[in-house]
Amino acid sequence: MKILNFEFDLVHQNPYASLYYNEEFQLAICKADQDYIPIAHFKSTFLFVSEMIKTKPIKHFAFDKRNLRTFHQPSMEWYFAVWKPEVKTEGLIHHYKILPSEPWFAKSVQAGKHEIFQKYGEDIVEGITITYVNTLEDVLETIQKTN
Amino acid sequence: MNIDLDIEYYKEQLQAKEDMLARTTNYLIETQNDLEEKNKKISELYKDTLDSIDVAQHIQESLLPDVNILKSYFKNAAYFIKQKALVGGDTIFIKNNNEGVQFGLLDATGHGIPAAMLSISCTLLLRELSSSVELKDPKSLLNLLDYQLEKAFDIDNKLSVAQAEGIILGYCSKDNTLNYCSAKGKGFLVSKSGEIVELASIKKSLGDLNKVKLYNISIDLEEVQKLIIYSDGLTDQFGGENDTRFTKKRFKNLITEHFDKDAETFANIIAQEYQTWRDDTAQTDDISFIIIDF
Repeated sequence: MKILNFEFDLVHQNPYASLYYNEEFQLAICKADQDYIPIAHFKSTFLFVSEMIKTKPIKHFAFDKRNLRTFHQPSMEWYFAVWKPEVKTEGLIHHYKILPSEPWFAKSVQAGKHEIFQKYGEDIVEGITITYVNTLEDVLETIQKTN
Repeated sequence: MNIDLDIEYYKEQLQAKEDMLARTTNYLIETQNDLEEKNKKISELYKDTLDSIDVAQHIQESLLPDVNILKSYFKNAAYFIKQKALVGGDTIFIKNNNEGVQFGLLDATGHGIPAAMLSISCTLLLRELSSSVELKDPKSLLNLLDYQLEKAFDIDNKLSVAQAEGIILGYCSKDNTLNYCSAKGKGFLVSKSGEIVELASIKKSLGDLNKVKLYNISIDLEEVQKLIIYSDGLTDQFGGENDTRFTKKRFKNLITEHFDKDAETFANIIAQEYQTWRDDTAQTDDISFIIIDF
């Protein structure tokens, strides 16, 4: 996959999501390929990143949810409460999110996050930056600006 | 992908969709209830604030003087005052004694509640201080006011912006003399032939004189037909076709056109012209003016 003339290697794929990586940007991208990712595939994709980070530098992670129309709250809870703190200890602290353009999806994400923050406290994301962007090009430009 | 896996996939997705819809609906209801509660509190606070300002307006208006005092000394007189936000920094002062009358106009810094507090303080201070000052010496009255403002509002410690600009006049009926003193106060004398002369003033405000000396000026009443003193809220008002200021020039043109009208009629004309100029534009500042016919 090419973004702004930068080549991203496909490092992992299942029927629901693809994982790309570029070493120069130290960026991994998870792209939802279907309107729903079952929890088993969701976890396996993200656990692949957990393993990858042990051998390759990954400081930035982008989750492109534009194809999603349904998100699974238990998956999201695991993503926030288990996966993010785990990869934070490995130095992955900059997260980028691209949501579908439908406003109701953003509202649903807000509702899901609200519930997770109530359960675990807002400090669950302490030390992590979460940036909402519109495109993958935006992710690269944001990283270039901050570097 | 086999059929069993497909069924599992759609079952999980359907469950997730139902769960997402229920969670989002609950969240939106919760948010709406929260907003309604906050809106209720804001409405209550707004009503309390408006009620307080309403009372404050009555207090400030109750301090306005009776124009008939001026009418008893001059051929005719009128004044007009319209604060920007129900209460404000403009005030009219009139006080008479056995020998004549002191009168004037002050425009305290800013507008709204802080300006109103300052304006009320100025009014009460003027009432108190005026009895110790001779009619022919308005300079001393403004000097005392300046001193009191600095002292009362602790300007040296830079905690206060207690300043006011204005003009005070003293009319002595025994010898028919009129003296004035102005600290950034604005006004015009209009002769019987319609010539307009601007009243002189120092360029510093009361509360900020900082050793700048005030001075009395005597007005020769022989040729004077009208005296007009005003606050800059009138000339600074935005409006008209191009949303520009009313300007002093437009005010002088208005005077030239209507100076032969009596004070009350002329005051109504100015108020109407001001309103026409302003139209739907927000009031820029507090406005006030006094007109005296000789």
